Amino acid sequence: MESPRMMTVETSRFGEVTFAETDLFEFPWGLPGFADQRRFLALSLAEQPSFIWLQSVDDPKLALPVADPWQIFPDYEPRMPAYATEALDVRGAEDFTILCVVVVTKDAEEMTMNLMAPVIINLKTRRARQVMLENSPYSVRTVIPRKHLEAQGTAQPA
Amino acid sequence: MLVLSRKVNQSIMVGDNVRVVVVAVDRDQVKLGIEAPREIAVHRSEIYEEIQRSNRSAAAAGAPVAAGAPVVTRAALQPRKKSQKPAKKSE
Repeated sequence: MESPRMMTVETSRFGEVTFAETDLFEFPWGLPGFADQRRFLALSLAEQPSFIWLQSVDDPKLALPVADPWQIFPDYEPRMPAYATEALDVRGAEDFTILCVVVVTKDAEEMTMNLMAPVIINLKTRRARQVMLENSPYSVRTVIPRKHLEAQGTAQPA
Repeated sequence: MLVLSRKVNQSIMVGDNVRVVVVAVDRDQVKLGIEAPREIAVHRSEIYEEIQRSNRSAAAAGAPVAAGAPVVTRAALQPRKKSQKPAKKSE
């Protein structure tokens, strides 16, 4: 088998990142607020493995911090809308993972997680989509308890 | 913006696959029915705009990373752990 093509992107946040083309995740529908962005890498700082940055390869300035919601909210039970399972061809639990966007407020006093619009990633096809759980009990700005952050070693993103 | 007048039970087509029907009108409220392929997401604009704003502030937050800080490419993400409850699929 041919080895995957290596590529380089000069990111604003992480400097130069070299990656294999097969490392990319594809967001065929873009992301709300960044509708034109299609190709992303999942990056973490070695010292903050709980945080993943969805780094756009098309716009090197754009990186969106996400994290595993269950790490913080173990009872989180998103009901995936039909359009998401259909569009991403999600069949079984091993097929996909869910990450939620993390927002740090300007004064860095508070961190919130967007539980209403999880990012669903099909791990087999590497296609992903941020979906909206309308009529769900989940908030766009769910406060992450500070003590929990400390316990998880997830300080605010650098 | 294209503006069309429609009566109750009349509809418009958006492209070849999306039909928007006026279901009912009650004073200043209009009830719309939307028929679209299953992979098309249909949302109230306010919710979509709220997610847009939230994503933009998430991307804007945080200082740049110190030069030379080791960065890991997470090429293989893990599915949700088996010990956790599976996500429900809505109808």
